[in-house]
Amino acid sequence: MKASLVWSSPSPERTIAVAMRRCYSTKPIEDIEVELEQKGPEYWKYLIGKALQDKSLDVLEHLVLTLMVEGAAETDVGLLTRTFPYLRATRLRSSDWLLTLNARTLVELWRDPRGKPLAEVIVMELTQRETCPILSELAFGVKVNAS
Amino acid sequence: MRVKLLYHTDLDAIKHVLAQKGVLFDADAMMDHVVYMFEIEDCSRVTTHQLVRHRAASYDQESQRFSAATREGVVTPPSIQSNEAGLKAYDEALKVIYSTYEQMVAAGVPKEDARYILPGAIKTKLVMTLNARSLMHLVWQRTALQAQWEIRELATTLHRLAQEATPELWTKIIER
Repeated sequence: MKASLVWSSPSPERTIAVAMRRCYSTKPIEDIEVELEQKGPEYWKYLIGKALQDKSLDVLEHLVLTLMVEGAAETDVGLLTRTFPYLRATRLRSSDWLLTLNARTLVELWRDPRGKPLAEVIVMELTQRETCPILSELAFGVKVNAS
Repeated sequence: MRVKLLYHTDLDAIKHVLAQKGVLFDADAMMDHVVYMFEIEDCSRVTTHQLVRHRAASYDQESQRFSAATREGVVTPPSIQSNEAGLKAYDEALKVIYSTYEQMVAAGVPKEDARYILPGAIKTKLVMTLNARSLMHLVWQRTALQAQWEIRELATTLHRLAQEATPELWTKIIER
């Protein structure tokens, strides 16, 4: 099974941080975005770490990923889409699929034996592309070397 | 009320993959894969209670547990605005509510408990992420004539922003 990233939410980790700050700030969204840019990735890491620690995974739902997954059996994809409602799949041809899921679903797949094989190939792809290095490290224990 | 589209899926990226695999673009199938993230500001909590009934979406909303409520932040429905006696009663009640809220907070009641007195009219802010299928269902239901004025205004704006961003998915007229 192989996953290729098609699209992800722009500024993936800042997007999670925006959602988290929205809960605690009365400011307009533009001010929150400026604040998060100024404070930078270390602060986003603090917020994402806190969300994972507090099990407030809802903020991860705003980071959305679309991938092409090749070599996935229909029975496996069917089981997972029935179990994880925010995982959407469209068959492209035979065992190739277009999948869309949010980062919370990815974390839940990773923690579920039925979803782990799919989560592993997705996390491997995200790691190689350095899509969301903070989340990869904190949620999946994958250290991405800064290039 | 202010609504801003923060991001949406790049439809061209998906089309590129479909072309690679020799699959024709099907707007209906792609509605599960195209997502939108919106910021919604200064609509009432009455309306966001209606909004979050659309469960196939992700929401994060300004918390009243931690942020203080202010007297300026309330929505007044047009039917009250245009009714002299109604507006007078509404304003008087709001004054009492906010005065009570401020007294409680000043007396040391936690904001998360003092908020029990706050009105449904209070303005709120939230982010919402959902796919095109869920959004189309929301628009279909909440732009209907039976829907309330504020959520109709919201749904109409969401529809416009999504249609401008990804016109190919919104070519069909929403039929009732």
